[in-house]
Parts: sequence; C-alpha cells; structure tokens
Amino acid sequence: MKRLAIALGLIGLAAVLALLITRPSGLSADDLPVHVADASNGERVFHAGGCASCHASTETESETPVLGGGLAMDTPFGIFRVPNISPHPSRGIGNWSLLDFVNAMHMGTSPDGRHYYPAFPYASYIRMSLEDLVDLKSYLDTLPEAKERNEYHQLKFPWNVRAGIGLWKLLNLDSAAVVSVPLENEVLLRGRYLVEGPGHCGECHTPRNWSGGLNKDRWLAGAPNPDGEGRVSNITPSPKGLAAWSQGDIEYYLETGLDPDFDTVGGSMVEVQENLSRLPAKDREAIAAYLKSTPPLEHDPGD
Amino acid sequence: MSRIFVSIILSSIFVTGAAIAESDPIEARQHLMEDTRDGAKVIGGMLKGEKPFDAKAAMAALKIWKKTATEAGDLFPEGSESGHDTEAKSTIWSDREGFDEKMAIFNTQVDAAIAANADSLDALKAAAGPVFKACKDCHDGYRIEK
Repeated sequence: MKRLAIALGLIGLAAVLALLITRPSGLSADDLPVHVADASNGERVFHAGGCASCHASTETESETPVLGGGLAMDTPFGIFRVPNISPHPSRGIGNWSLLDFVNAMHMGTSPDGRHYYPAFPYASYIRMSLEDLVDLKSYLDTLPEAKERNEYHQLKFPWNVRAGIGLWKLLNLDSAAVVSVPLENEVLLRGRYLVEGPGHCGECHTPRNWSGGLNKDRWLAGAPNPDGEGRVSNITPSPKGLAAWSQGDIEYYLETGLDPDFDTVGGSMVEVQENLSRLPAKDREAIAAYLKSTPPLEHDPGD
Repeated sequence: MSRIFVSIILSSIFVTGAAIAESDPIEARQHLMEDTRDGAKVIGGMLKGEKPFDAKAAMAALKIWKKTATEAGDLFPEGSESGHDTEAKSTIWSDREGFDEKMAIFNTQVDAAIAANADSLDALKAAAGPVFKACKDCHDGYRIEK
C-alpha cells in the first residue's frame, strides 16, 4: 500500500514536471526589436505567408483582405476552425500587443498563456524575423474589422487535450534552418527564409513523422494530401520532383500558375500561387533558386 | 438527280449520327483538352519568352480555344462521370450551374482575345492572360488533381 502511494506520488510528480517543462512559454518585452514598423513590407510578408488563404472570411470576396476566419479544416485529428485575426477588438486580435502577436507567431502561445494547435504553422513562422513580424502586425492593423465569432475546434481524444501540445513543441518547435546554404549567397538565404519561414511550404510538401512534426530527412519530398485524395508534390530537384523544371520554369509557375506544359496550377496550390504572384519578382527568383538547391529526394512510398 | 441528292444528305446525316453515337464523351473531351493544351503551349511559349511572337500562330491557337469553348460544355453529359481515368470532378454534375458559368466566362474571354487581334507580345499578354485565368478558375473547382 505504501509502495503504491509512493509510485502514484512519483507519477504525479513526473506529470507535474512534464507540464511545467512543456507549459506555454513566450518572449518578454525586452526581446522586441527597435524597429519602425513598415506596413508596406508587412503586406509583402502577409502575401508570402499566405495568411488570407486560411483566415479570409469564408463569405467575402473583397480585394482588401477581411480576416474573419471561419474556415473548417477537416483533418485526421478532427475539425479545426480558423479564427478571426482581423483588428476587431474582442472577436479578432485588435487588442493584442506586439508581444502577444510575436508570442503567437513564434511560440504558438496565446495572450492568455495557452498552447495553439500547430494547424497554425508557427513551427515555420518561428523562423521569421522579428522585424517582419512588427511590419506584418502594422499591416494587419490597417485591415477592416470582421465580426465573425470564433468557433471551437472539434477534435478527437487525445488531441483535444491542449496540454499535450507542449510535448509536441518540445519535439518539433525549432527555429534552426533546415537546409544549409552558403552564408554569402543572399539569393539563397532569401529563398530559404521565404520557403522555410513565412511561406511554410514544408507544412504540406514534407511528410510528417510519428509525432505529427515534419520529417526533415524528407524535406519537401512530397507528402499525402492533408485535405483530400492524392499527394502533395515533391518539389526537390529530383527526377520525381522538379529536376526537369528550370529556374525560370519555377519562377513562371509561381507568377502565372502555368507549369512547363502550360497546364494550370490546381488544388490548394491555386491560392498559394496567387499569393506568391503578388510578391516582387526577385522573391520568386529566390524561392526558385532555393528549391533548386535543396537535397534531391526520391519518392518514398512509406511517406 | 434529286433522289441521289436526298440519299447523300440522308446518308451523311446517318454517318454523322453514327460517329457521334460511337465516340465516347470522355474520350472526346480528353482529346479536346489535349488540343486546348497544344494551343496553350503556343501562346504560353510566346508569353514566357521561349518562342518568338508570331501573330498568326497566336490567332490559330486562339481559334483552337474557341473550338473548346464552343464544344466542351456538351461533352459532360450525365453518365460520363467515370471511366477512362477521367479528371472530371463530381462537382460538374452536382453544381452544373457553376460549371456552365465558368465555361461561359472562358468563352467570353476567348472571344475578347480573338477580337483584340494582338499584333505585339504585350497585346497578346493582355489578351491571353484572362483566358489562362479562366482555365485555372474552372480547373480549380471542377477538375481532380492527380
């Protein structure tokens, strides 16, 4: 009986320790950069990040993004409801401080100290510069308020236990770059930043491991389609990927949505391509250069 | 004389009818889409800078697209939802109105591009851009991605 009590006590202690270690964390105000916000760069970051693809109100089709959310993402874990990130003070993020915003984007931690689910790709956004986040927030602040109320996610057990996300973060939240590129090559550095950071390309183009994190050994080698049949394509420069595509082919595809056979882009990539077409040409050039420089990987049927 | 004439007409109607009855709508539309893509390669190749601008070739490609715009809508009858590895999405039949609307936009844009009678690369770019967008918008909702 005494032994059982000790064992239970130890398990309890371990659980408390585990929760402590994996509790939501964040930066402090001292970590924020001294930087004058540039909303026009923020708009560029907004398009690079494809924020509107998920957060745009499902009902509107205006030119100015209205970020009321509402999209239901049907995944194997359950249904995620995309939240309102418009500047509405109570239903959106209008009351957030810059620090709140940075903690959400980098650490996946909400202003009231809870974990966000990684359906919000902060494991990619953690590679974004703080300056870009300052600019992005200043751009978001200029957008119209949306009145949509957030709905709760409907997740299956055990994914409905938010505390578990702490463990996920411990395993998968890492600001280090995935592919090493020569530090003096500014084009490749820019491309890597766009692809691995705001563009969050790996979230769909890289298969996931047992923990639901990205398998970096199979970086950009293609993966099962998270929202439907078929596969998301291999975009490494292998014969199963983009080997036959020239640098110019990739740039042209991202600009126009036309592949080297002049067939049109399809599926979820339509919106991604339309977002990327709004970037300056040199950003698409950097993305293409980076993709051509990644390790060429063959298709692995196990992915 | 007139009897021969009538019989020629009758037999030609019969042959045409048989040809239609024989050809499978899925195969027919797949051939049509292949032709359409051949047109896209001509115009896209010019826009991308892979081929020199050629007004005549561009117009010929636009005429191919016009054929697609005229014929494609009728090649998705009920009962042609599956087979031949079709990439037609079930939404074509569940949302026929939306599909017809996209085809109508494609037709309008092709007409406008033909009417523009592009005599320079820039003019072709302006004329063909909306057509490519119409292709993409329709594929986006009504084609299975493989």
